[in-house]
Amino acid sequence: MEGIRLLLVDDEEEFRRTIAKRMTLRGISPEQAGTGEECLSVLEKKPVDVVVLDVKMPGMSGIEALYHIKEKYPKTEVILLTGHAATQDGVEGIKAGAFDYLSKPIELDHLLGKIKQAYDKIRREEEKLREAEFREKMEQQMIATERLASLGTLAAGVAHEINNPLAIIKESAGWMKLILNKEEFAEIPRKQDFDMALDKIEKGVERAKRITLKLLGFARKGDSVLAEVDLKELAGEAIQLVGREAANREIEIVRKMDVPENTIWSDPYQLRQVLLNLITNAIHATESGGEITIKLEVTGENVALIVQDTGQGIPKENLEKIFEPFFSTKSPGEGTGLGLFVTRGIVEKLGGTIEVESQLGNGTSFCIKLPKYLEVKEDLEGNHHADLLDKIVKMG
Amino acid sequence: MIKIPTRVLLVDDEKDFVEMLSLRLKEMGEKVTLAYNGQECLEILEKENIDVVILDIKMPGMDGIETLTEIKKRFPIVEVIMLTGHGTTETAVEGMKLGAFDYLMKPADFDDLTVKMEGARKRKDEQEERIRKAEATFLLRKSGNI
Repeated sequence: MEGIRLLLVDDEEEFRRTIAKRMTLRGISPEQAGTGEECLSVLEKKPVDVVVLDVKMPGMSGIEALYHIKEKYPKTEVILLTGHAATQDGVEGIKAGAFDYLSKPIELDHLLGKIKQAYDKIRREEEKLREAEFREKMEQQMIATERLASLGTLAAGVAHEINNPLAIIKESAGWMKLILNKEEFAEIPRKQDFDMALDKIEKGVERAKRITLKLLGFARKGDSVLAEVDLKELAGEAIQLVGREAANREIEIVRKMDVPENTIWSDPYQLRQVLLNLITNAIHATESGGEITIKLEVTGENVALIVQDTGQGIPKENLEKIFEPFFSTKSPGEGTGLGLFVTRGIVEKLGGTIEVESQLGNGTSFCIKLPKYLEVKEDLEGNHHADLLDKIVKMG
Repeated sequence: MIKIPTRVLLVDDEKDFVEMLSLRLKEMGEKVTLAYNGQECLEILEKENIDVVILDIKMPGMDGIETLTEIKKRFPIVEVIMLTGHGTTETAVEGMKLGAFDYLMKPADFDDLTVKMEGARKRKDEQEERIRKAEATFLLRKSGNI
């Protein structure tokens, strides 16, 4: 009961005081107001969870106050106190959004019980809201990751295709330059113009090359954030997100993750994406009454995360294709065919491997092996420096 | 100083690129042979003496890595420089593990290419020198003069 912010509104001061006093003894110290107007001004100053509101008051009536409260503070729950045999008021109040009503004379325990119920309702609503927000955020993140991945593939493809003609332009310009610098060409007219134009071609190629390298870099790197990841917690989060779907299909998700060390150094968001993809796939592949097991194993410098289902299994001829982009056995529009492709991309980026084992009718098991400590690989820039260093050493 | 030409085999399915690069290398005094796929590359190696193969990684049919594996199996002394169009260093690393001398990212810098080519040529010369010496020792021993 503690922590409930309560407001008691009644024009009978004596009644109000007595109730307030007895409530304080039970651990709730209510705010008090003598009229509907006063009630609203209290609410304006401080947030309240539950209002206990007398219906019959001079000035603004309880019902009127109730309308105002529900309009301005829809999360606040209201319990009406009606006069004896005035059920009409109570019914009207509930229609207007009151949590419940009690007829006077009231019993304190009864009232406290109602207050607790109202408070529980608020908490449930809040929980639901939080969950909805969380889910929405996750879904957006998933969409963004998938989109990034396919964009990355496209970008890498484009960059690669452009690099080839760039190489041709570069060689051609280089060759012309070579000829122009020969002795027999030393005296040709307007040689400077040729030199200048060739320089510009080479500079242009350099510029385009920088762009394509960046595109290729984007395709590989993405923005990863490295942190300590509690795999058990991560699996819990993932299960929470897909738990409803699993429950709807009567599929049980079991965690066998009790190992001495369940934290690794990696990218938590990407890993969660991986787990979500695998668990969702497992749910879709499993008949109702089936079971999905998430296991964690530690071997030396690696950890293995295993997602195992008791589903229909994957036919042999499909096993090699499942990691390919746009391969899907779901009907068009249902599956993007990118899930496992993205998953593998992420796992590899995180320095790991993914393997699949499946038996028709007996289920499928995906095993991800990840390093306990992910070291940041040298990127293209880094390579560049290494090349430069190489050159300098050779020159020296 | 008389330059001893390096016998280069250029392998890439991009015809225009191969042609232009070969013109440039020839202009520099190298002896250049062209191949447009992995199979052709291996056939040429069978017939001609080649010092350095410049090999594109991404080719239709037999790809660069397969070709490299085959070259190192059948002509282990021939040096290979890989051209990666991918921009991914992973393939390059794989190639080096398989015995390639070095790699270049496409579009490659010509100076880089010549430096790496010289390095490859030098390694091959030294290796051949060692083989010659070893053979001489072996022959001497066989004839009982040692």
